[in-house]
Amino acid sequence: MIRTEELVLNVGPQHPSTHGVFRLLVKIDGETIVEATPIIGYLHRGTEKLAEDLTYTQIIPYTDRMDYLSAMIGNYSLVHAVETLMGLEIPERAEYLRVIVMELNRIASHLVWFGTYLLDLGALTPFLYAFREREKILQLFAEISGARLTYSYMRVGGVKWDVPDDGWIGRVERFVDEFQRALEEFHTFVTGNEIVQARLKGVGRYDRETAVAYGLTGVNLRSTGVPYDVRKAKPYSIYDRFDFEVPVRTEGDLWARYLLRMEEMEQSRRIVKQAVKQFPSGGEIMARLPKLIRPPAGEVYVSVEMPRGEQGVYVYSEGKPHPYRLHFRRASFINLQILPKLLVGENIANMVAILGSIDIVLGEVDA
Amino acid sequence: MKVILEVIIFTILVLGYAPFAIYVHRKLLGWMQGRVGPNRAGPYGLLQTIADTLKVLQKEEIIPANADTALFRIAPIIAFAPAFIVFAVIPFAPSLTFADLGVGLLFYVAVASISTIGVIAGGYASNNKWSLIGAMRAAAQMISYEIPLVLAALGVVLLAGSLNLNTIVEAQSRSVWFVIPQILGFVIFLIAAIAELNRTPFDLTEAESELVAGYQTEYSGVRFAFFMLAEYVYLLAMGGLIATLYFGGWLPPHPALAFIPGIVWFLLKALIFAFLPFWLQATFPRARVDQLMTFAWKWLIPLAMVNLVLTAMAKAWI
Amino acid sequence: MATGLLKGLGVTFKEMLKPKVTTKYPDEPYPFPNRLRGIQKLYVDKCIVCNQCVNICPTQCITLKGKPHPDPEKKGRKVLESFEINFEICILCDLCTEVCPTEAIVMTSNVELAAYSRDELYKDMQWLDENDTNVREVNHP
Repeated sequence: MIRTEELVLNVGPQHPSTHGVFRLLVKIDGETIVEATPIIGYLHRGTEKLAEDLTYTQIIPYTDRMDYLSAMIGNYSLVHAVETLMGLEIPERAEYLRVIVMELNRIASHLVWFGTYLLDLGALTPFLYAFREREKILQLFAEISGARLTYSYMRVGGVKWDVPDDGWIGRVERFVDEFQRALEEFHTFVTGNEIVQARLKGVGRYDRETAVAYGLTGVNLRSTGVPYDVRKAKPYSIYDRFDFEVPVRTEGDLWARYLLRMEEMEQSRRIVKQAVKQFPSGGEIMARLPKLIRPPAGEVYVSVEMPRGEQGVYVYSEGKPHPYRLHFRRASFINLQILPKLLVGENIANMVAILGSIDIVLGEVDA
Repeated sequence: MKVILEVIIFTILVLGYAPFAIYVHRKLLGWMQGRVGPNRAGPYGLLQTIADTLKVLQKEEIIPANADTALFRIAPIIAFAPAFIVFAVIPFAPSLTFADLGVGLLFYVAVASISTIGVIAGGYASNNKWSLIGAMRAAAQMISYEIPLVLAALGVVLLAGSLNLNTIVEAQSRSVWFVIPQILGFVIFLIAAIAELNRTPFDLTEAESELVAGYQTEYSGVRFAFFMLAEYVYLLAMGGLIATLYFGGWLPPHPALAFIPGIVWFLLKALIFAFLPFWLQATFPRARVDQLMTFAWKWLIPLAMVNLVLTAMAKAWI
Repeated sequence: MATGLLKGLGVTFKEMLKPKVTTKYPDEPYPFPNRLRGIQKLYVDKCIVCNQCVNICPTQCITLKGKPHPDPEKKGRKVLESFEINFEICILCDLCTEVCPTEAIVMTSNVELAAYSRDELYKDMQWLDENDTNVREVNHP
């Protein structure tokens, strides 16, 4: 009688494919996963608790560090909540600047996903091609906000900086035009690759009901055929002015998620292009506000579409400069919950591919 | 006495080739990724590998607790020695073969498969789960791909009527290079060779993003260098074998170019095939372990058999 | 069957012949935009010791001390006695320069802060005063 034993394998927190300090305890039988337990919290900084002692402006740098790949949208989610609570009117020019940087940031964030995901699949070069393109966006961001990753660009009531004088908008437009060619290159290079298709098609599949039951948002939900994008479902900022589509697929596997993220980059590109065309030539970038922001007592919940899904911000204000309670619904954290279910029965190579396709950012998971 | 001298000179040459191959590897990868590659140590970074080697030699010798110490120490040598031994049968030039064996091809394949044992032993002895999985994969992969490799090479053996690599080259001087009648066999052989060498897209044994470093996870310092060295030397050996079997070894592409010595032609062909995997590595992702097995057993082996039968029929009737 | 693979090989081959995109950073300085938020520069004599930067700092990395103005005619006003930024925890968020009413503390685009000891990351008044290259031109939007 042959006796086999299950092997407990500790993946991470220092593993090349856990995208940060994520730990996964898997029981394997041969190479097949029998049970998977995610362990998180290695990057927990207590943002929500810290925020209770900070003024609203001071919280903005903390939102940079949650989903650090899309800090512009993270900034926006907080200021949007406070502005909604105060009922503020945002100047037109500021809204356009916000949309331009947010959508550029979505492209940059998906580019990092693209590169690291292919690194997970074992291809080295797409990572560097993706970063080559992302670098151009980061340069644009450094010019307008003064930082390459932690922008802190949004302020309650507008944005911190106006565009630099030397043709920044023109450079954005040029980048957006050139980026189309880069996307085509990625498609010939990676999407058409038979090995990539063989690795992704039919793996990590779940259906619509499961996705909704687990509260998945973003691409993880849209890959099962639910056309839910906060930008369309509950339009915020000035997204109702742009013509763009929410790409949806019905397969629910890794391949669907891969194609959707690639398509989202194209859609963001379209939004930026329209926003640049409509960009107002003058006007204020900040609403009139007292120096110390005291929103009226009350509570508010807003949600925005981050590259990884729906980010919700709940603010409970007592009319003081500090929030009484601030809560972030972080998309990565909630999307991660489906991982143990998806991993059972898969092998280690698929484990890496599935984890990558959920697309987590540990700063956001642990907050 | 002369033999010993030859062997020493040859060993030094191959040892000199390894840093060169690593340099070319890193430069090619860099260029294909829009980078410049190593450029800090020496002019154009030429001394980079030397610097790396010196660093690796100074490393502390680490043996994990509860590892099988004896096996752990000996595994790199088992993996590394056959890489040099196989060069004995490779014909570099008309009169330059160290051992002109009648069963040259068989000798190559047999000795090369010993390296697998080194890899498995290293992975097993490390007392590390990643290493163990890497070693298990190595065992499965290398054994599976040896079959199509040999079956594909048999087509060449049928055409030449000999296992002796020198005779195979000479047979190609009488007709065309065997890559033309054996194009299917060549493709199978190339794919199987890449899998046998553990290069992308079949680099599952050390799959960085999945297994950290596979069977090498616990190795450092000199022992790690031995594994690396074996890998790069095998590239050249396999390049040499492909050149010999399918591209006429030391033969010039056209008789008019015969004034260039045979060894130059041989090295040129061998290096092209030794460096081809670097290009593949820059382009392809990694296949999955079950796909790899399916591919070997359901595609390559039947195809290799078909190739063998076709070659035999052609040989019998034409 | 394998056209995608061959096209991929074409892409990498073409990239090999294109000019490289990396910069020679440590050999040639990398030109950051002027707006970049780097290490702060402090104009000691401009500071009026209003403590706004200390209050706004989200990580409490600034400590400053004032003393009465030595000029007896400017009674009631203060000058800096000491000013320290702890760059172990400073996140270069730009809020101190944003609130400073006299632009006594401004950003530069110098970013090289690496040191061998944590103690070296406490930068005092004199060090911040001498950090006067690549100073940002526009500090208040």
